[in-house]
This record gives sequence, structure tokens and C-alpha cells, in this order.
Amino acid sequence: MDAMQELGNIGAAHAATTLSQMLSSPVEMSVPKIKVVDVAQLGSHIGEESAALVVFELQGEIPHGGYIIFYISRKSAVYLTNTMLGLTDPDRPLNEMDESALLEVGNIMASAFLDATAELLGFIMLPSPPVLTIDMAHAAMQSLIAQMQEDIDEVMLFSTELVCAEHKIDSDIIMMPETSTLKTFVERLENLMNPS
Amino acid sequence: MTEPAPQSKLPVMIGIGEYHVGSVPMMAIGLGSCIGLTIYDKDRHIGAMVHIMLPESSGRSDRPGKYADTAVPLLLNKLTEMGCRKASLVVKMAGGACMFEYFGNNLNIGERNAEKVRAILTENHLRIVAEEVGGKSGRTVAFYPDEGGKVTVRSADGAAHEI
Repeated sequence: MDAMQELGNIGAAHAATTLSQMLSSPVEMSVPKIKVVDVAQLGSHIGEESAALVVFELQGEIPHGGYIIFYISRKSAVYLTNTMLGLTDPDRPLNEMDESALLEVGNIMASAFLDATAELLGFIMLPSPPVLTIDMAHAAMQSLIAQMQEDIDEVMLFSTELVCAEHKIDSDIIMMPETSTLKTFVERLENLMNPS
Repeated sequence: MTEPAPQSKLPVMIGIGEYHVGSVPMMAIGLGSCIGLTIYDKDRHIGAMVHIMLPESSGRSDRPGKYADTAVPLLLNKLTEMGCRKASLVVKMAGGACMFEYFGNNLNIGERNAEKVRAILTENHLRIVAEEVGGKSGRTVAFYPDEGGKVTVRSADGAAHEI
């Protein structure tokens, strides 16, 4: 589990760095959490609040490896794109320009996350083209879980909070691997720690 | 699953694969491709709600509420055990959206969920009197057996409306 923690840590740290560069502001990162969540309890972790989710499928050496998600509340999403686009109104609706900006941020962060974890593990993980949804967070996560390869009762979430206090931006980067991908992670990590 | 008189109007939250039978308000939040199915007995003023995630149980029996093919018989059995007659049952359904068309490697699960629910209901000689399914948006569904079996649906940016 410690090694898994480290895996999430390295990915999130790289994602935090890229976010900080894009905003030209410091970004604080929480201790990465690995949560095992029963699907029946998903609502206690992710509610019905409106949020923007930029979703990527994990591809590369493991096809359909699971998902990586850049999650940002609707309010924070406006602060984020305002900062990027040089705007100031925090109450405006999100438009196409915001959507492009969110996709771009998500893209850069997911790539940074996966580059770092792939380097540690020694195999290639690539993000699929991104899909953006701005809707009830629970509904989006539930839809992803329903279309995972295996019929599962629990999901493992690698979740790290990224906060930019200066611009009031609170976001999360979440990796939700398939069971088969988790097995590959564990095998690789064991090999790294106990090289034969 | 009978319960004492409700202490408050706080609804029972029905998580993925869970169900509830009784007269208290019930709610399933943030349905994407999932289905919220409600069955109300208009004579006895009780009802049941289930939060379905997938169409087929493929032989699994540990979480009958999670699959359309086992969830429908589950609710019907529970209601029958409580003395409900089929002729008094009012069935409504919401959910079954397709939020991620791009990741369509498993066809449209929302649509398949809804179709399976309809098929199993038909086998049981029941039909849906009101539904709000499909589309691309998430929904929160609430069910009030103590208010004549009222069912409301709300999306991320909308107010709740009755179906």
C-alpha cells in the first residue's frame, strides 16, 4: 500500500506542478489518498453538486485501463478559467472558451500524472482524448463505474486535492484503475522493490 | 423492512444497488446511466425504490438491487410479501442517461438498463406509467409514498419537477 501511495504521490505532484505553472501561482497539494469505495457508498464521497470533470481513459500498454479524472467544482472552474483568460466575473456562466480551457488544463495535468507514474512503473500509460462534462459529479462518476470492464462492487480511487489559494481554486485529480490495471501496478511495484 | 413512523422528512438515501420498501420519502442522487425505479401501491400508500446500475446480473445474487433483471422481481416480491396486489401498483422510472458517448466501448448502458427494466416489467404484466430516461444529463430522483406516490426529478441546473 505504501508503494501505491507513492505512485499516486508522484503522479499528483507532477500534475500540481503543471497546474502551478499554468496559473503562475503556488498550488498546494494534499496528501494523496487511496480510497476503496463501495459503489453503494459512492454518494458519501462524491455528491450531486455541479462540477466539471475532464475524463480520460487510460490507454497504452493496458488498453481500457481505467480512468483519470480532473475534477473541479463549478465555482472553482470559473475561477480557474477567469485566471487563465484574464477575466474577473465569478458569477458568469461557463461558455465554449471555458470548456476549451478546462479541456486544456485537464489534458496537461493528466499527461503529467501519467508520464510520472509510467516512468516509475516502466510501462506506457497514455490518456485518451479528453471528454468534458459539467453536470452532477455523482452521475458522471457512476456512469464511468458502470462502463468499467468488470462488474465491480468496490472502486479504488487515487485522489489528491490541488488547491490554489490565491485564485480560490479547489480541484482534485483522481485515478480510477480497472482491477486488471491494479494487479499490473502491484506486480510492477513488487518487482521494483524486490528485484530478483 | 417495515419501519417506525418517520421522525422527519429526511429521505432515505438509496445508494447504487440498494433498495428500500416503506412509506418514508426515498431518494437516489446523481443518476447517470443508473436507473431509479419506483413502484407505488395506490391502495396501501407504500412503495419501493431501487437504484439499478447494470442490466444483467449474469447469475450473481448477492446484490439483487444492482441489476435490472434481479431488481424488478426483488421489488415485486417485497411488495407482494407486504400484501400488495399487482393491479394497484404504479411504476415510474428515471435515469438511464448517456453522459460519455466517447467511451462507448460498452454500448449505451443507460439505454440497456431502461430496456431491461421495461422487458422484465412486461414479463410481469406491468407497465411504466411515467418515465424520464435517456439524454446526456444526470438526475436526482425522489419518491414520496406518503404523498400519493409522487416522484420528482431534478437535474444539475434545474428545479425538481414531478413526473
